[in-house]
Amino acid sequence: MLILVIVVLVLGGFELFEGPKWKQSKTILPQIVGMWTGPDSPQIVTAENIFEYMDGAGELYLGYQFDYLEVYEYRAQNQPEILVELYFMKASDDAFGLLSLDWGGEPVKLNPASRGEHSIDDSQWPQVLYGEGLLRLWSDNVYARVMATRETSESKKAVLTLGRLITEDRKNPSPPNLMDKLPASFEPNWILRRDRVSFFRSHLILNSLYYLGHENMLELDLTSEGVSAPYEKRDSSGDLQRIQVLHLGYADPTRAENALVHFHRVYLAEHPPPEHSDFSLKVVNVFPLEDGWMGYRLKENTLAFVFECPIQETVRTILEQIN
Amino acid sequence: MAKEKKPVTRRDFLRGTLGTTLGASLIGSKFLKAGGMTTGGVASDSSLVTIVRDKGAMDSDNTVNSDVLKAMLDETLTKFTGKPTAKDAWLSLVTPEDTIGLVPTPHLNPTHQEVVDAVKSSLIEAGIPEEKILGAQGGPDKPKACTALIGLPGLKAHWLTGIGTVMKLYILYSGSPRNYHDENSAKLGEIWNYPFVKGKTKLVLVDALHPLCDKGPQPDPRYKWPYNGLIAGTDPVAVETVCLRIIMEKRKAMRGEDWPLSPPPLCVETADKVYGLGTSNWESIKVEHYGWDQDLLLG
Repeated sequence: MLILVIVVLVLGGFELFEGPKWKQSKTILPQIVGMWTGPDSPQIVTAENIFEYMDGAGELYLGYQFDYLEVYEYRAQNQPEILVELYFMKASDDAFGLLSLDWGGEPVKLNPASRGEHSIDDSQWPQVLYGEGLLRLWSDNVYARVMATRETSESKKAVLTLGRLITEDRKNPSPPNLMDKLPASFEPNWILRRDRVSFFRSHLILNSLYYLGHENMLELDLTSEGVSAPYEKRDSSGDLQRIQVLHLGYADPTRAENALVHFHRVYLAEHPPPEHSDFSLKVVNVFPLEDGWMGYRLKENTLAFVFECPIQETVRTILEQIN
Repeated sequence: MAKEKKPVTRRDFLRGTLGTTLGASLIGSKFLKAGGMTTGGVASDSSLVTIVRDKGAMDSDNTVNSDVLKAMLDETLTKFTGKPTAKDAWLSLVTPEDTIGLVPTPHLNPTHQEVVDAVKSSLIEAGIPEEKILGAQGGPDKPKACTALIGLPGLKAHWLTGIGTVMKLYILYSGSPRNYHDENSAKLGEIWNYPFVKGKTKLVLVDALHPLCDKGPQPDPRYKWPYNGLIAGTDPVAVETVCLRIIMEKRKAMRGEDWPLSPPPLCVETADKVYGLGTSNWESIKVEHYGWDQDLLLG
């Protein structure tokens, strides 16, 4: 027993002396990229000093499971500067979530150095997006922004090269499981807007996607996860209709139940929440609100919501079809 | 007994009860408007907002042409005040005895230094001693050192407050800017009513040369465009309302459909209805535009 204790202490001591996690980063970008020269080591930003680095933007990254940030600045004569920010997150779902906040840009595949070019990415969820000098990508647990202050043909080449270097030898995990729970369409003719689907954990980020209220009425935190998904269809007169679906997952059923009660108190104050005894079953409710029918389904540790639906029965249909 | 604060939700916007809900939640603030009269902001009855644009204000690399900018500034001053020269215009707003604070915005879509320099030069030409023109962006000590303020915000949306242009300009004067995010962004107007700020703002001149229409939080070149404009007024809420209109129209043009700001900009309505700083009613705002009129984005 004493030997076991000593072994554990020794191994623990090795871990203590390994140093901060960011020092173990495998990403070491080269100092020279084309015409550009960068630092021999990056600036490191942690959760403690992220607000000094980026003021209000820090809350975005803290709204996911942020670990640390590496910053590289590249400069070249007569060329725009290139800023590289590598956000190391605690899980790949969080890196994916950051990219999912904006699917705009050209999806690209960063091919191996031997081929030296890039091609269009037509996969289900792009991993790399480029537009007007800005490259954004998700690679395992890294979300990266590589931005030239001005786009030139040379800077684009350098930006894409940096993107390739960032993604080399990284794992390629699947997107968050919650992303697969929503059907591509509902009857009649409601089609998912894939380019507007986002993964989040924080109520601040939810509000930037679909504003419900400033209070954290859904009790979201870093142990929870959510998908924001709009669906659209054209009505008989050709006008565009849109409904909003939210699908949330919590650490356990109790948290989901508490969130529903809180939501009722803030958003549905005129309707009492379900009785606690109902929470052992699946709970589905639908209400008429100012902008259409709104409904929710509580099932185990998940909550699904439909907002702005023009037809009451469609709300129930949608809630039944969410996995 | 303390009144329970009722949280603002999407439904308040849909019902049109935002002002009531926010007003109720802010009861107790000594910086609310008193008796329905405007107590802060700028000393002006006008809700005139001018927009001066010149296609040549920036080149294809978005480098500012200082000569063109100076001409735009001169036109802004004379058109807004109705005075014949920029010097006369300035002297109708400030005096050589004033200590004038210039208040640019440093983050996300920062005010062009060329705009700050042009304003400073113009003030000096008007006879304001250079030592009486201070940089006044920062903590509470900045406005306390000034008798007049000239707001010079960059036009931008903001991911936490919807819009981050005029009402957010003085957030650092609070000494605790993080207290004014989220729902508390509705309280941004109260900073304009602080005793050491109230009544000092003589002009709000928005740098609309290269605005940002999506919220950030970091700059994204896809959402910036060369509007090449200066937007001016003495009613900060009216100026913000015009800025908001431009951002919304640009977003709509980009997507081909309505693209609302989320979260919605609570601060604009409360600045009007709770803090009495000016008008957010489009019908009560007179917009005069001069110069380049392509894609004016006023709806």
